[in-house]
Amino acid sequence: MKASKTWLMGTCVVAVFGLSACGSSLKAPATADVAVSQAAVENASSADGTEFAPEDMRKAREKLAAAKLALAAKDYKAASDYANQAQADAKLAQAKAGSAKAKAVSATLQEDIRVLRVELDRAATQ
Amino acid sequence: MKTTRLSILLASTVLLLSACASGPKTTTLLDQVHADYSQAQANPKIATYAAMEMKSATEAMAKADAAANGRESLETVDKLAYLTKQKIALATEVASRKSSEADIASAASVRDQVRLDQRTMEANQARMKAEDAERAAQAARNAAAVATQQKNVAQANESEAQRMAAEANARNQQLEVQLSELAAKKTERGLIITLGDVLFSVDQAKLNADGARMVQRLATVLQQNPKRAVLVEGFTDSTGTTSHNQELSERRAMAVRDALLDLGVARSQIAVRGYGESYPVAANDTAMNRQLNRRVEIVLSDERGVIAPR
Repeated sequence: MKASKTWLMGTCVVAVFGLSACGSSLKAPATADVAVSQAAVENASSADGTEFAPEDMRKAREKLAAAKLALAAKDYKAASDYANQAQADAKLAQAKAGSAKAKAVSATLQEDIRVLRVELDRAATQ
Repeated sequence: MKTTRLSILLASTVLLLSACASGPKTTTLLDQVHADYSQAQANPKIATYAAMEMKSATEAMAKADAAANGRESLETVDKLAYLTKQKIALATEVASRKSSEADIASAASVRDQVRLDQRTMEANQARMKAEDAERAAQAARNAAAVATQQKNVAQANESEAQRMAAEANARNQQLEVQLSELAAKKTERGLIITLGDVLFSVDQAKLNADGARMVQRLATVLQQNPKRAVLVEGFTDSTGTTSHNQELSERRAMAVRDALLDLGVARSQIAVRGYGESYPVAANDTAMNRQLNRRVEIVLSDERGVIAPR
């Protein structure tokens, strides 16, 4: 009886240590992830992500904030998770801004061509 | 008492451990993402323009599926599914942007082509206008040339007409002189030149030198006026027999004709009649009168060659 109790206690202690040991090796990658997603959010912002994809930018900023909090609270797994999500959201926002702008330019050019063609037809029938 | 505490600890640990390894087979979000993924795989634009982003999404998809197959927690699977979802959306947006950029590039060249077409058409229209103007100018030049030519022809015709009128005038004047030299008299029948008896040898039908000279003048007139003709009429006085006089008058007329023919006058211009002692111009009572009756009258036709009969 005493032996099994001790064995069980020891397992739990090992388990607890194991968890915390796993935790400390996650710190560096988590810090890196947060930094990368910080950069991603800033890039997306300067690419007019807020204007063209406000929802995605909002989610990105919220998750970045949560990641930073988790990092400070040494919850490195959560910090990485939030950071990765923030990065994905920010990149998407930036891509949406890029595709919207390109579409606008393309539409303008198509309109220019249409107007030119109308003029050409009008002049040809004179 | 101790056993119960241990049992609870054991049970909760087992529960805790087993909870980690008994996640769902799939989640709602993961199913949704699978649908998104299939759609993206079938999108040719993504294949063309966002292959790299799609590769990253594929890797994320695999991670999410692995977590689901490994029965990891709902939370874990959903986190991985969410990342995959965002990456698929990213690939879609990148493909859209690059596709638009390709359109922009080709639109620029289409616009340049349309502008070129417009300029070409304007140039063609201008050229056709110029050609039309040139044709009109050429037509005007032609018309002017024709008008000038017509004027020249008219002028030449007028000069010619004037020349011919002058010539005709000169001829007429010359004719007048010649006729006056021939002592032609105007009568109802026309001009009549009388060759008197003195121009013939006595009682013969032979012209003397004076007669020959008169006939020469007449010949010149007929040669210069080939459209005119003469009717040579011979007359005698009443001396001698009628038949003798008839024959003499004819012979005298023919003598004049022969002289004209010798001088080159055309036979068609000469007609001959003898009237004997008919149609005297004076009474046959005195020698002078009888001489007057012994004559040849030459009737000159009009310009058309017509002679009115006696």
